[in-house]
Amino acid sequence: MNKSSNKFRHLVWPLVSLALLLLFNAIFTDNFFKIEVKKQDSAQAVQSTAVPDDLPGAAGTAAAQAAAEEVEAAKQTVKESAGQQAVPEKKDDKGVSIFGYYLYGTPIDILNQGSKVMVLAIGMTLVIATGGIDISVGAVMAIAGAIAALLISMLDAGNCIGAGMGPAWYWIIPVAAALVLSTLAGFWNGMLVAGFGIQPMVATLVLMVAGRGVAQLITDGQIITFDNPGLVFLCNGHALFLPFSVWIVVAMYVIAGLLTRKTAFGLFIESVGNNERASRYAGIEARRIKWLTYVICGFCAGVAGLLAASNIKCADSNNAGLYLELDAILATVIGGTSMAGGRFFLSGSLVGAILIQTLTTTMYMKNVSPAIVQVPKAMVVIIVCLLQSPVFRAKVLSVFASKAAKGGVQ
Amino acid sequence: MKKFKFPMRYVPISATILVFFIVYLIGIISFENFGSPKVFLDLFVDNAYLGIAAIGTALVILTGGIDLSVGSIIAFTSILIAKMIATGSNALVAIALALVIGILFGMLQGWLIHCFSLPPFLVTLAGMFFIRGCGFIVSEESIGIKNDPVFNFIQNDLTIKLGKGMNLRFIVIVYIVVLLAAIFFSQRTRSGRSIYAIGDNELAATLMGIPVGRTKIMTYTIAGFCSALAGVVYAVYLKAGNPLNCVGLEMDAIAAVVIGGTLLTGGVGYVFGSLFGVLVLGLIQTLIVFDGRINSWWTRIIVGLLVLAFIFMQNLITKISKSKSKSQ
Amino acid sequence: MNKFATVIMAAAAATLLVTGCSKSDSSKIKVGFSQVGAESDWRKASTESIKGEAEKRASIELTFSDAQQKQENQIKAIRNFISKGVDVISFSPVVATGFEDVLKEAKEAEIPVVLFDRAVDVSEDGLYVSFIGSDFVEEGRRAGRWVVKNVGENANVAELVGTVGSAPAIDRKKGFEEIIANYPGIKIIKSQSGDFTRAKGKEVMESFLKSPEADQIQVLFAHNDDMALGAIQAIEEAGKKPGKDIIIISIDGVKTMFEQILAGKANCTVECNPLIGAQLFDVVEQIHAGKSVPSRIPSVEGVYDNVGGVNVGTDREPVVTKKITQEIVDSRKY
Repeated sequence: MNKSSNKFRHLVWPLVSLALLLLFNAIFTDNFFKIEVKKQDSAQAVQSTAVPDDLPGAAGTAAAQAAAEEVEAAKQTVKESAGQQAVPEKKDDKGVSIFGYYLYGTPIDILNQGSKVMVLAIGMTLVIATGGIDISVGAVMAIAGAIAALLISMLDAGNCIGAGMGPAWYWIIPVAAALVLSTLAGFWNGMLVAGFGIQPMVATLVLMVAGRGVAQLITDGQIITFDNPGLVFLCNGHALFLPFSVWIVVAMYVIAGLLTRKTAFGLFIESVGNNERASRYAGIEARRIKWLTYVICGFCAGVAGLLAASNIKCADSNNAGLYLELDAILATVIGGTSMAGGRFFLSGSLVGAILIQTLTTTMYMKNVSPAIVQVPKAMVVIIVCLLQSPVFRAKVLSVFASKAAKGGVQ
Repeated sequence: MKKFKFPMRYVPISATILVFFIVYLIGIISFENFGSPKVFLDLFVDNAYLGIAAIGTALVILTGGIDLSVGSIIAFTSILIAKMIATGSNALVAIALALVIGILFGMLQGWLIHCFSLPPFLVTLAGMFFIRGCGFIVSEESIGIKNDPVFNFIQNDLTIKLGKGMNLRFIVIVYIVVLLAAIFFSQRTRSGRSIYAIGDNELAATLMGIPVGRTKIMTYTIAGFCSALAGVVYAVYLKAGNPLNCVGLEMDAIAAVVIGGTLLTGGVGYVFGSLFGVLVLGLIQTLIVFDGRINSWWTRIIVGLLVLAFIFMQNLITKISKSKSKSQ
Repeated sequence: MNKFATVIMAAAAATLLVTGCSKSDSSKIKVGFSQVGAESDWRKASTESIKGEAEKRASIELTFSDAQQKQENQIKAIRNFISKGVDVISFSPVVATGFEDVLKEAKEAEIPVVLFDRAVDVSEDGLYVSFIGSDFVEEGRRAGRWVVKNVGENANVAELVGTVGSAPAIDRKKGFEEIIANYPGIKIIKSQSGDFTRAKGKEVMESFLKSPEADQIQVLFAHNDDMALGAIQAIEEAGKKPGKDIIIISIDGVKTMFEQILAGKANCTVECNPLIGAQLFDVVEQIHAGKSVPSRIPSVEGVYDNVGGVNVGTDREPVVTKKITQEIVDSRKY
């Protein structure tokens, strides 16, 4: 076969599973693929004036359609005018789109809500590729959210360096602080694993247990709410029709992809994951490579933590990112990365993350009783993994083959 | 140079035991009543279920695998028993059924892991979701076990009174018996030695003719049984079942095993070590309760730091003794 | 090797000794309290109320323990309180079942137990002296009555359930359903768990708003304020007006929720009062002095909304809602 088909072969099975799940939704869930184009302010105004309180049903849809049509029309004019004027990089105070339009619907929600796990999965993929694991990412998310919320509340109150920049810009400080802190957390994990040679699961267990405590210490155990437009924009704003968080994922994916596939870094990672000692003999600084993957993973957790905090406009140290490490690992493995290390697929991890979020959203949409939600989730995970397993496919194929052979004889 | 040469392989576990007694001593010095035998006995009573679960986890980790379904199986078992008793079944039937389900579930996990070479982390993670969901299907609400003759018998007649407020409960005896059996199994039987061989080098074990598949599936089956038995013990301990209980207990079990000197990569360690791992975790909790001034978030940080201090100490002691044995 | 190890151990010992070393004063009443955890603002307010009150009273020496939402931790804590020899044990149970044995042990050791905030389910009397706290079922009922009186006898309700299997989630649902069972026009058309958190509340509400039944949702009943606050964001993002297009009612009564009601974005919150530390230590002091105390002490709780004057209690025990004003918001501590 040719080279390109080999390159994407690992993506086949997660994509097939995702397609099956989407197909299921297309058939059994109404409105699943309904995507509307909305304009933040006017569309809202049209809807709420057109819908009288006592007639929500039919009028609501009609109004929505009317709004959508109007938006369609307006989109045309904007596109035309955009050609003539320089596009203003305007940040609306309510955290809306740069262009004022955005897509609205379940698939968009899946992308938006799944963005946290997608970002986590990028870092996790690299760590797992070296044969390690990082179970502290959920706690690091909580730390990142906590420090961002604390700083933004200090800036809002005016008692912090940088408050003079005004609310439109000073949100950069908490964002930077959160990223620095989470990168340090990653550095710490890397130090324990690569520096001191502690087993990755135990080493990251330390931060998993203690990290949430640190986050609570930062926020003094309180849930800190904020409404800074810049910070809120991260996960609630829209750019180029899509939620801004999706663009963050795209950017991080592209950077990680370039870093690992266009430089030797990716090869080094796989080499270390395959055989650490051999790669050391080959002159690769195995320790440094491993260390770096944990640092990247910490950074990713920081981004995810900012997204999680931005999404609900507050830092909830107790619940932010709780058990998300499991989802991130799941996404990575569903995407075809081997837990033994030595082989990784960033795109597969993203598909895995989308698959998990689609599954969760499907459960909500289908009104599955909250009690049993976990059961179908577990089954889908096992089925996807079985599909991924070459051994399973070989066995199933051999059963079919032998049946066919028997049929042929008779 | 000492005349008596301490075997290298006992170093990590000895370090754990040493640290346990030092921490215990600190507790006695710092707090009144900490030294009372009741505190020591309660360590066993309150952690018997964790200890039994940790035995299964230890065996699985020795093969180089991992089992994340432990906490969920305990919750499922306890709620199943409580529900069956509440609907009029005999308690012994309920306990037997719970154990059988645990064994079958462990076997299924082992089968999936071995036959389709799926990562243990993933299979048991899915198993964790699955069996907890099943627990919620049995009952969303916690159910108490009231006036059941079997449970009352265990409670009243199988408890050995050792003095005022001090009872050697049946569950502690169960734990010790299971622990001794597991130690014997892992050290003195052919299957037990196979576990070490597989954990050390699976390929080599296969080439040596060790039945790798059978041993792995057996280990996960034993782990399933241990988790289910821990669930039974938990139901006896609380006289209740609750599908929400023991969330994240697998992490405690893994931590206990690791503190007990077992390497997560497999092949190195002792089941016996899990006992001291469990006791150390319990002791840390007791210290924090006795102090009673530490904020909840500080509790988490301190537990994290203690685990860290522990790992460092172990690493250091192991490294030093390694270099010493080399110089000798 | 030994020297090095000893140095490290000594260091570890020193750090522990710094945190340890509490010498108790025999004239004080030693109280052991086990809290559920620190899972929400509400719980945090409750913890502060207990700790603050204990500090204020010279007669009380408090040993506080956090169970981190785990029953197994709580039972260990209570056992340790018994070993430690406290005078009174108080705790806020994680769940209702499973405390019988440890309570019997406390009784054997002659330590009185006061339940706080949540009740336990035990088969014999006398295992605890008193129970101070709210009635979750009644809270659900109050929410139900408010819907009946303010929305009418025909309404489609979406429900954000708390953590599956937890006592407040089960009881609040029970109470709410008990009331609406009398009104066939009121239907729960969507019900899903939001785990008592903002993030989940928002995520679940988003999916509700995109489901085929989205346009029929008239009322949102959230089992706590945090989930309601998340849902408000989701509703706004969907282009609807929370509090108008969808009537929002929740339980707890935290300050942020009050602000939302005042801003017209939510409609009603049934208070579940966490500030009962003073009540607790009054009871503890009475018990210690040998006085008898009532076995059930209800906490003082109101219902707050944007209308005012609605009776959400029964005819015999009326509970009239208070309309939220700026003063009420400002005076809220948590």
